Formats: sequence, structure tokens, C-alpha cells
Amino acid sequence: MNTNSNLYTVIYTAIIVTVVAAVLAFVSQSLKDKQEANEKAETISQMLTAGGFGSKAEFQALGNAKVLETYGNEIGEAFTVNAEGAKVADLDLEHKEIFSRSQLKAQNYKVKDGEGYEIPVFKFKNGITVVPVYGAGLWGPIWGYIAFEADGKTIHGAYFDHESETAGLGAKIKDDPDFQAEFVGEQAFFGQSPVFAIVKGGAPKEEGKSVVDNQVDAITGATMTSNGLDAAINTWLGAYAAYFGTVKEEVEE
Amino acid sequence: MKLKETIFDPIFKSNPITVLVLGICSSLAVTVTMKGALVMALSVMAVCGISSFILSTLRNTIPGRVRIIVQLVVVAMMVILVDQILKSFEATFPIDKQLSVYISLIITNCIVMGRIEAFALGNKPIPSLLDGLANGAGYGLVLLIVAFFRELLGSGTLFGMQIMPASYVTNNLVILPPFALILLGCIVWVQRSIQKDLQEK
Repeated sequence: MNTNSNLYTVIYTAIIVTVVAAVLAFVSQSLKDKQEANEKAETISQMLTAGGFGSKAEFQALGNAKVLETYGNEIGEAFTVNAEGAKVADLDLEHKEIFSRSQLKAQNYKVKDGEGYEIPVFKFKNGITVVPVYGAGLWGPIWGYIAFEADGKTIHGAYFDHESETAGLGAKIKDDPDFQAEFVGEQAFFGQSPVFAIVKGGAPKEEGKSVVDNQVDAITGATMTSNGLDAAINTWLGAYAAYFGTVKEEVEE
Repeated sequence: MKLKETIFDPIFKSNPITVLVLGICSSLAVTVTMKGALVMALSVMAVCGISSFILSTLRNTIPGRVRIIVQLVVVAMMVILVDQILKSFEATFPIDKQLSVYISLIITNCIVMGRIEAFALGNKPIPSLLDGLANGAGYGLVLLIVAFFRELLGSGTLFGMQIMPASYVTNNLVILPPFALILLGCIVWVQRSIQKDLQEK
């Protein structure tokens, strides 16, 4: 048989590609549930890390079941809010319903438009509120969770993750605990613009002196990722401004 | 070539990293921890072995003009399978996240395509499978040696367990990729002084 004829070549490649596609589709479908369970536990451990319930490494060592259990014990309320800051719907606590990355991505378009969004709020029993942020880094999506104290403006902790930022530079938003620690104690200025800022060299932390403002230092050598994170935080916290506005009134009463 | 040489040559005498100098990029990136290096080594072994086997089985039917494309399709399939499987298990999920793009980048690892072109397309399936596995193992062995020093000196741990005394100050340089290159250089040096026929006159 002449394996070099055009017809043979075309048919051969068509068959190979079809077979490979079928194998991949089958495997992807049959492993989907397990992968989603892992993703969910990962997301929950990120929220718990932001909320200061432990470090990311600790949660990793605990395993999925324990992470879900901790979340079940600590979570008080979880619901979605709209642009007016009003509660829209409860999230199912029994099944530990959270917002997956694809859900955040879907909301991100509406958040950017500034209307029609329904974004999640996770209130823990100890008064800490965790909200997600989502945006574009340099190479791919970046997202994270910011935890607020009961006063609804002071940041209790933050955790960020990314899909494909540069290792050693942009990837520091996830890998560098010092960067995430910078957020602790800072405040978000809801109702102002910008709500929060990641700036170049403008937010010095002098030794023994903590300046409480709405700024943290950007990452050296990762300007694009820092800008992306800045935009993600501002857009999303801006979208939560109405909600946290109502929280503040409650506290003042 | 004898079966025994097929298996043992790639481990030392013609090691893909130290002698053929292939797969350097990923060996700098994934050797910060032993766990990462081990998972990467096993992944490359699986990809290299199984795709060599598949392509060797198909070797008489593959049209010459689209040879490389057919190889790429098969290797890409294997890489995606490995990635999907790593993502599905609780134990390997965090490691897959840590290795991030480097698992998908196995497809561009020259060892895989190199061995398929040089060996699998001209040999029977079983020797090809062994050749693929052995080259993966040779790559993995170097990876583990480098990772051993980097994790021990850089984090004071091995497989995540504390080895160095608590007073040990971790060396940040060891964590960074340049040190992996220095270590690789040392390994090549050791191998060349043992194996005299590699030395240029």
C-alpha cells in the first residue's frame, strides 16, 4: 500500500485525530467529578486562608474532607448580593455551595459593566466576611479572596491565585506570603475611587510604624500582574461598595 | 541493539540530560522539591514510554510527510491524559498545581520527540516502550539528584519532612533556577570524569 498518496495521508490523519479526540473526551468526562471536587476544596481552602483560619500549607496537609469540614463549622451565612447591596439569594450551606472560577468569570463581565451582577458574600461565624475578586493578569486570569473584619472596611487577610503568571515574578501574588501579609490591617475606602490601590513605591511600611491606608506596594518586576490585580480588586470591591455601605450603617446604629 | 543496553544506557551512559543535554529547561523549573521532581519524572516516563509504544506500533502505517504531526498528536494526547489524571487525585492535585505549566510543557520536552524519532520509528513496540521508559527514568534520576540538594539546602526538608535542624538558615539561592544549572554542571562534570570517552581531545 502506498502510504505516501494524498488520499491515504488525509484519511490517516483524520482517523488519528478523531480517535485521539474521542479518547480525550471520554477521559475528560469520566474524571470531571473528581476534578471538580478537588477544585472546590481548593477554592474553599483559599477562602479559609484569606479569613485567617490557617495557612494554605496547613489546609493542603489536612486533605479535602477536613477542609470542607472546617468550612462547614466556621461559615455563618453565604449569599449573593446585587449592585444595590441587597441580598438576592442564599447559597446552599448544607452542600457547601460556593462560587467556582467559571462562575466568577461569568459575573466578572457584569461587574465590569457595573450592573446586573449577583456576587457572593461569605460571612463566617466570627464576624469575618470573605469576598472574591477576579480579573486579568499578564498571561491569564488571576483571582483571590479578601477577608474583612466585622467593621466592613478593615482587611483581615487576603489570598490570591493565578493561572499562568510568570514564575518568580507575577506568581508572587500567590507564592509570596509577605505580599499577601501586606494587605492585613489596611482598609478599603468604599465609596471612593480608587477603593484600593497597589502602588509603585508609594506605600512604605516603616519599621515599627503601620500606616493604615488603602495602599500596598506592588511586586518588583511584575508591573503588569500588579496592575491587573489592582484593577481586579478595585472593580470587584467597587461592586461590593453598596453592600459594605449597608454593613457600616448597621454597625453605627 | 541488545535489550539490556536499551534499558541501561539511557540511565547513565547516554543519559538524556547530562550527555544528550535535552530537557534542561524543565529540569531547572521542577526541581525545587522532591515531590515535584518525582511526579514530573513519573509523568515523563509514562508519556515517553507509552507514546513510543503507540507510535512504534503504528510506525509502518504512518505517512512520511505527516510523520511529525502524527507524533505530536499522540504525544499531546498522552500529556493531556497525564495532566487530567494528576488533577483527579487528591494527593497529586496540589503537586499538579505547583508544577503548573510544566506538565503541559512535557510535550515540548525534546527527550520525548527525540526518542520517538531516533528509536521508536525504527524498532519493534516492546523495545520502544522500554527505551521510552528508560529515557524517562534517566531524566528522572537527574531530576531527583538535583531536587535532593535543592530541597535539602533550600528548604531544609526532604519530601516535605524536616531534615535539617531548626537552626538551619535556608539558602535562598538554592531555590532559584540558576543553582539548578550549577548543580547540573557539577553532575555533568562527575559523569565526564568517570566516563572518559565523553571527553573531547
